[in-house]
Amino acid sequence: MNKVKSTQYTEKVLDHFRNPRNMGEIENADGFGRVGNPVCGDLMFMYIKVAKNNKDEEFIEDIKFKTFGCGSAVATSSMITEMAKGLSLEEAYKITRQDVADELEGLPPIKMHCSNLAADALRAAIDNYRTGADPEVEVATSCQLEIQVILGFEEFLGKGAYNEIPENLEELRDKRILIVDTGDQSLELALKLTEYTGRVIVLTSSKQVPGREEIAKKLKKSDVKILHQSELNEVKGELDEVEKVVIHDYDEDENYDLFVDVIIHMAYKG
Amino acid sequence: MSVYLDYQAAKPVDVRVVSEMTIYLNQKFANPSSLHCEGDEATDALSISRQKVADFINAPNPDSIIFTSGATESNNLALIGSAMRNKKKGNHIIISEIEHISILNIAKYLERQGFKVSRVPVDQYGIMRLDKLARLITDKTILISISTASNEVGSLQPIDEISEIAAKNNILFHSDAVASESVIPLDVQQIPIDLVTLSSNEIYGPRGVGALYLKKGVRINPIIIGGGQERGIRSGSENVPGIVGFAKAAEIMKTEINDEAERLKTLRDKLVKGILEPIPKSYLNGHHEHRLPYNAHFRFDYIEGESLILDLKDEKVAAATGSACSSRTLEPSHTLIAMGLLHEEAHGSLVITLGRFTQEKDIDKLIEVLPNIVKRLRLLSPLTPPDLIKKYNEVNE
Repeated sequence: MNKVKSTQYTEKVLDHFRNPRNMGEIENADGFGRVGNPVCGDLMFMYIKVAKNNKDEEFIEDIKFKTFGCGSAVATSSMITEMAKGLSLEEAYKITRQDVADELEGLPPIKMHCSNLAADALRAAIDNYRTGADPEVEVATSCQLEIQVILGFEEFLGKGAYNEIPENLEELRDKRILIVDTGDQSLELALKLTEYTGRVIVLTSSKQVPGREEIAKKLKKSDVKILHQSELNEVKGELDEVEKVVIHDYDEDENYDLFVDVIIHMAYKG
Repeated sequence: MSVYLDYQAAKPVDVRVVSEMTIYLNQKFANPSSLHCEGDEATDALSISRQKVADFINAPNPDSIIFTSGATESNNLALIGSAMRNKKKGNHIIISEIEHISILNIAKYLERQGFKVSRVPVDQYGIMRLDKLARLITDKTILISISTASNEVGSLQPIDEISEIAAKNNILFHSDAVASESVIPLDVQQIPIDLVTLSSNEIYGPRGVGALYLKKGVRINPIIIGGGQERGIRSGSENVPGIVGFAKAAEIMKTEINDEAERLKTLRDKLVKGILEPIPKSYLNGHHEHRLPYNAHFRFDYIEGESLILDLKDEKVAAATGSACSSRTLEPSHTLIAMGLLHEEAHGSLVITLGRFTQEKDIDKLIEVLPNIVKRLRLLSPLTPPDLIKKYNEVNE
C-alpha cells in the first residue's frame, strides 16, 4: 500500500501551516490574484507590490496572501510568498506547483492538484499587474429585474414553491427556506422567517449583502445565509414536493445542488 | 497521549473484555466444529456468547444472532442477502440519504444488479422524513434499511414508526444500530425490526467482530459460502476469541448503558454550550435534543475542517471533520449535503464524539483551545468578513 494519508504532511508543511509567512493583505496592491473556490474547499488571495531593482528590472518588493483551506493550501501559499519575495517578475512567473511542493519537501499525492494552487495565484497576480485587468468578475446588480425561466418552478407552486408571501408562516416552521432576493420585501421576509426556522438562505446576484443599509445590517447580524452572485436555475423534487434546487454560481460559472424544502420567489411570473 | 474525542471512529477495548478474551487466543483455541473435548469447549463458549449478545437486544432466541466480521459485513449480508432472497417478490429497496457509507455503496451495487433504490430525504436536522417514506413504498418494495441514528450528525431516526410502516406493508425492515448501540438500549421485542446490524468495537469490544440479528422466520441468502457455519448464513470458522470479547462487551454495556448515556449527555451539553457561546458564527449541526448523547457536530463559518484538525492535533486533541479535504474522495460529507448545507459550510465542520473514558477535563481542554484556533484560521481566511476581523483585533488590543 503506497497510499499516503491526505493529512500526512512533512515537518516543513506543518511549519508553514502553523506559522504562515507574509499572511495578510496589501492595501493598494499592484497586482492581485485569486484562485480556488470555497465550494471545493480552497480559496487563495495573493497580493503583490512591484518595484524596480538597480538593474531596472521589475521585482516583487512585497507579497502577502490570505487562504481558506486545508493544511497544504495554507502551507503552499505561505511557501510561495517566501520563494517569490525579491525575485524579478520574470523569475517569479516561472515558479511551478512542483517547485512549491519540492520546496516543502513534498505533498501528499492527493493534495498535489487540489490544494497546490499558490503558483497559479501568484501568476494571476502578476498577470493582473501586467495587463491591468481585474481578475475578479464584477457582476452588475441591476440585471436582477430581468427574470429568467426557472425550470420546474411552476410545477411545484403550492408544493413548496411560492411566488408571494406565504399566507401562513407557521407552516414553514423548521423548514429549509430559500428566498430569491427580489428587493427589500423579500429580505424583510427572510429576516422574519428566522423566527420560524434556523435555516433561511437568501440567493442574490449581488456581491455585497443586499438591501438598504438598515436591512443589510440586520442581515449581517442574523443567521440568514447569503449566497452571492448566484441565480436559481431549476427546482427539483419527487412525489410532488420540492426537494432540491440547482443553483448557478456565476462568479465560478458552475452549477450545484442544494437541498431545501421551500422556495420563495416573489417576482416569479413564469 | 492526546485528549481522544473521536470515539465514532474507533473505541479502545475495555480491559474487562480483554481479560475475558485472552485464554481463547492461546489456551482454548480449538475450532467449535471439532468433535473433541476442546472443540466442545469452544462450542460452549460460542453458545454462551450468542446468548449474551441476544440478551443485549432482548432477542427471544439466541439463534437469531449471526456473527460476522463487523458492521460492514452485517450490512452487506442484510441488504444483499435479503434482496437476492426476495427478488422474485420485488426489486425495490428504500434507504435514506444519510445512511452509513457501507449502506450507500451496497445500494449502488444492488442498483447495478438491477434493483431500484429510493433514498428518503431528511429534514434540516438530519431526521428522515416519515411522510416521504410512506409515499415511496410500492408493491415491489422488499426492504427498508434505515439506521437507528445518523453515525455522523447523531440525529435519532424514527425507527418505531418505520417498523410499523414496514410491518403494515409486509416489507422487511433492516436497521444499522451501530451508532446508537453504546447509548440507547434496543429491544427487538418492543420495536419489531427484522434485521439489526451490531458492532463489537462500538461497545468497547474487539474490532473485526459484529453480528446480524435475524428475526425468527426472516429468510436471507448467504453472501459468504463455505462450511455452513452460523446456520449456513455465514460460513467460515468462528472467530471465538473475538466473539467472546464481543459478548463480554455486550454484557457490560447492558448494565451500564443508561448511566453512561446520562453521563455523556451531561458532558456533551457542557461542551456544546462552551463552544457555541464564545465563538461567533458557530453552529451545532443536527438536532439539539433528538441526537445521540455522545455526539457534538459543530460548524464554523469561513474556515476549513482539515485545518481545524491539524491545529487541534498540535494542541494534543484528537477529533474528526466532515470536510472533503480529509476524505479519500475529496467530497464533503453526504449527510451534511443532504441536510441542506452548502459545500463550503460542510467543509467547516468539526465532529466531536465522546465515550466511556472521556472525562470532564477533556471537554474543558477543547473549550479552552478551540476559540483561539478558530480565530487564528479566520484571520488567515479571505472569507472572514472585515467586521469580524476587526472584532477579533479589538479584543487583542
